[in-house]
Amino acid sequence: MTEIARKVCMLGDFGVGKTSLVARYVRNTFSDKYLTTVGVKVDSRQLQLADGAGLKLVIWDIAGKSVIDGANQSYLRGASGLILVADGTREASLRAALGLLMQARELLPDPACVLLVNKLDLIERWEVAPATLAEIRRSLPVFETSALSGDGVEAAFAALGEALRP
Amino acid sequence: MNRFPAAVDSYLDQTLRARARPLLLSFDADWNLVEVRGDTAANGLAGEDARGLVQQLQDLFLGLPLDQSQDLPFVELSDGRHAHVHLIPDGENFHLLLLDARDEHRQTQVQQQMGNEAVLAGIEKSRTLARLRQIKSELEQQRARLEEANALKNALFATLSHEFRTPLTSIFGYLHLLERGLEPNAGQAQALRALRRNASHLFALAENLLEYGRSESGESLLDPAQLDLAQLVADLDAMFQPLAAEKGLALLIEAGAAPPEQAWFDPVKLRQVAINLLSNALRYTPRGYVKARLEWRDQALRLDVADSGLGIDQASRARIFRPFNRGAQHGGRGAGLGLSIVKRLVERMDGRLELDSTPGQGSTFRVSLPPLRAGGLPALPEEAKRRGLSALIVDDDPDVAGLLEVLLDDLGVSTRQAGTAAAALAAVAEAEPDLVLVDVELPGLSGNAAVYQLRSQGFKGGIVTLSANATEEARRAALAAGADYYLTKPLDFAQFARVIQQAGRRD
Repeated sequence: MTEIARKVCMLGDFGVGKTSLVARYVRNTFSDKYLTTVGVKVDSRQLQLADGAGLKLVIWDIAGKSVIDGANQSYLRGASGLILVADGTREASLRAALGLLMQARELLPDPACVLLVNKLDLIERWEVAPATLAEIRRSLPVFETSALSGDGVEAAFAALGEALRP
Repeated sequence: MNRFPAAVDSYLDQTLRARARPLLLSFDADWNLVEVRGDTAANGLAGEDARGLVQQLQDLFLGLPLDQSQDLPFVELSDGRHAHVHLIPDGENFHLLLLDARDEHRQTQVQQQMGNEAVLAGIEKSRTLARLRQIKSELEQQRARLEEANALKNALFATLSHEFRTPLTSIFGYLHLLERGLEPNAGQAQALRALRRNASHLFALAENLLEYGRSESGESLLDPAQLDLAQLVADLDAMFQPLAAEKGLALLIEAGAAPPEQAWFDPVKLRQVAINLLSNALRYTPRGYVKARLEWRDQALRLDVADSGLGIDQASRARIFRPFNRGAQHGGRGAGLGLSIVKRLVERMDGRLELDSTPGQGSTFRVSLPPLRAGGLPALPEEAKRRGLSALIVDDDPDVAGLLEVLLDDLGVSTRQAGTAAAALAAVAEAEPDLVLVDVELPGLSGNAAVYQLRSQGFKGGIVTLSANATEEARRAALAAGADYYLTKPLDFAQFARVIQQAGRRD
């Protein structure tokens, strides 16, 4: 039987925790040392959907940027899903994530998307108001996540997996 | 283009190859590996097994066309090395050329890291500066308040020493002489007792004012005790009837229903509230009446003092509760402290003070005081009881959760418990309560994170955050996350009960 696989790209400003989220999801690990991603790292994880079907998520962790430039355009080709990531302690990173979504929609036909607002463990320092996310939630699945604790991470990837159901 | 000399071509070929350590994997159209050429050892393919790498490359080109040239720079391979990966179509087949990018990646990474860290540090720096500015502004405001309070206190002390303590010393001295030197008949003895009682009370009042001056934030301790309403009314009557008679005013002080035994108040402070309101009413009523009524009604002690006096115009209302406001009400004399003390004392007892007044017709002051503590807490209004409030207690400490359960049960609130943020979210999703009480310090995600998620998911019920952290910063963080109230431990039970009532009314 041919394996069903979907390419998904992590998109978001630098330092929001894209690499940490992938590490938490794929390897269940976390490091608090910030290491800038240059280029791309491809990981994958087999996922079981709610109806029991299997799906392989091929996750592209690409360098964080607030706009999609030439290099990122080539990385995005062929992607079926997007994981937009913002950092709750930096309101600007949420605007960047939404801006990236707009740009990506011009390159990809109707990609499945989820928004992860990361660093829930630092809630006392969040600049993003709950009402803002309540508003965004009307048009986009939103997950508050912590790559450090793992909260929300499984649920977010699972939701994207369901949206990518063949 | 002119060709380079053969020697240069050869040199370039050697140098670039040595640097890039090219590895070429050739595939047929179905991703079957046909041939591997190039520097296999340097690429971690010591001979036989290229399956892992092929799988990774297959993932890399998922969704991408294989009949077009592609260039994917800086791809991290499973062994942590970085390579530029090029796809080169070749008829039905295609090749993947991997060029080593370790050194280039290392240099780019260092530069990028420095750049990003500088930006992040800049963000942190401006955030810290903003915080410092805020703290500075708060400190300046606090200092201004303290200076004002200090000036007020000094003025108060000065006033007290002249207007209260000096004549009181004299009164006590002569009382002592009279009591010692006379053998009074029954009527005189009663008069002396009345004099001593009133002088003592005046002295107690003066002491209270001193305390007022000492503590800008009203930190004087409350002393709850059972209240003898009838005795208080009798004392007030005995104290003020002579003064009313002197001015030709009708004075009626009456007691309604007494509070239940378990509802306690601070009798001294309550007495001072009543004395000040009655003094004020008698002072500013040239003719007519002064009426006072004390009673237990709607789970609170009510004191209404009405007069047919001068009344207070709208513009003066805010001023009359400020200390030293002599000018605010016309036609009377005094230090201008009475109503400010009433306000301070009522607030200290968590009560409410209201004023109805029509200039030229008179004023009514209404005081409502909740019991300070009880064998019973202040009960919820009947309608809330009927509605049956429900609460979710989120605390990992079973003792605290148990205590909250008992307290809420006393207030007629049904409860469920959750020990973590995640359990709380699940419990609310299962059945939405009217109220959520959440401890900040939970294992794993904090209570604030739970509150934030509840609000961002549209939970509209009341949220009360509890914490042992009494700093303003902690309070701000809890409210910013979406809590309606922030209470610090150890809990003030009367305050807790009121907050529960208010939070339960949120729609």
